[in-house]
Amino acid sequence: MTRVLGWLAALGLLAGLAAGFGYAPREAVQGNVQRIMYLHVPSVLTAYLAFALVLLGSIAYLATRRPGWDRLAGSAAEIGVLFTGITIVSGSIWGKPTWGTWWTWDARLTSTAVLFCVYVGYLLLRSLIDDPEARGRYAAVVGILGAVNIPIVHFSVKWWRALHQPSTILGPEPAPIDPAIGLALFVNWVAFTLLFAYFLSRRMEIARLEEQT
Amino acid sequence: MTYARRAWIIFYKDLLVERRSKEQTNALLFFCLLLLFLFQFALGPDRDRLTAALPGLLWLGFILAGLLGLGRSFLAERENDCWEGLRLTPGDKSAIYLGKLAGNCVLMSAVEVVLVVLFGVFYNVDLWTPAAPLTVVLALGTIGLASVGTLFAAMTTQVRARELLFPVLLLPVQVPVLLATVSATQALLLGQPLGDVAHWLKLLAGADAVYLTIGLLTFEFVLEG
Amino acid sequence: MPANWGYVIAAYGIAAAALFGYWRRLARRAHAIGARPRAAAKTRAA
Repeated sequence: MTRVLGWLAALGLLAGLAAGFGYAPREAVQGNVQRIMYLHVPSVLTAYLAFALVLLGSIAYLATRRPGWDRLAGSAAEIGVLFTGITIVSGSIWGKPTWGTWWTWDARLTSTAVLFCVYVGYLLLRSLIDDPEARGRYAAVVGILGAVNIPIVHFSVKWWRALHQPSTILGPEPAPIDPAIGLALFVNWVAFTLLFAYFLSRRMEIARLEEQT
Repeated sequence: MTYARRAWIIFYKDLLVERRSKEQTNALLFFCLLLLFLFQFALGPDRDRLTAALPGLLWLGFILAGLLGLGRSFLAERENDCWEGLRLTPGDKSAIYLGKLAGNCVLMSAVEVVLVVLFGVFYNVDLWTPAAPLTVVLALGTIGLASVGTLFAAMTTQVRARELLFPVLLLPVQVPVLLATVSATQALLLGQPLGDVAHWLKLLAGADAVYLTIGLLTFEFVLEG
Repeated sequence: MPANWGYVIAAYGIAAAALFGYWRRLARRAHAIGARPRAAAKTRAA
């Protein structure tokens, strides 16, 4: 099952690259840099999926105490942090030629950075507790709070930015006026989701085996 | 023994211990004085720059003091082997959370009053005129900080590297509280009425409600084991 | 509008390195578990 996922993911990624570079046209306003969006947008969507699973696993673990749920939460968090990091770095690299700066405290980048910090803290907590039962419990509490906090962070940062800067003309998400761009985004998103599923499957299996020894 | 009574006992015990020894409160209040110097030296002699940064500095001060003060919420129980006693308390454990939270709110309020007075005096800023609306913002911000801080303090008490882990866990969660309180305070210090910052107050109130609810619901899971 | 391929390659390159690195990490951990002797169930410290 895992292996099938792996091959599907690899195929998907190749298809995504082809779509992003071969099929999709060069964007009129931003030029080639816009192609980074085929990496950036699916990354952030995958990260959100991951953190949704962390929330699910956390609640389910507190309710049932079955270790499988905690394994889901921990694995999903790890991969989520990975994809969040990719989101931030790709967004930053996109920003340099577009806005002229490596970093800007715009609403989306800032929210994503806070998200990153929340779940790095989550992983840090997990690494500091050896007893799997305590680790699952504490991580679940942090996981739930972190996830529920996401919309609160989103609104607070958005309103905070509105104070300082009316609106950015270019958002990281281009309106897919061109259906080719939309399709390329979709293909890449599917590929990333498959990759996420593959990573998750492997990571959970490792966690299960490590707990047995 | 009713729920409210149990919460009250925890609150009263902490208050009594602190009033007798005064060790923690005194150190924390002295820390506030040190912060005053720190901010002055960091931002230099330029009065305007300091005044412009004042709302942020005020809340920075609260958060720094909060990191120190809140992190130690359960230290007394842990050091004196009372953790088991807390665990074995009959009934809803969230009463303990409420009691501890009340104590922490009182502590943070004392810190805030001191900081506001010190800022007003040493930085020559009029904090008396907007005092009433400022209190509202302070209250909402305190609940936001203390509600999560109390929960995480209980958690990190049992974990290695707790002095490092507590800030690392608490600060990202506090970002909305910080943004809201600083923005609201800034507006209030410019003389705007409370109504102008209503959206920030609503965000704070909403966040506080969420944090409190999660704290009440999950505290018992933290207390096990 | 300049070609800016450098940025595109940099972004994709870093992402590829990160994803590949994580995949390698998973592979190494899986291998390490397999290499450990399959001991009889050992009680974990509470």
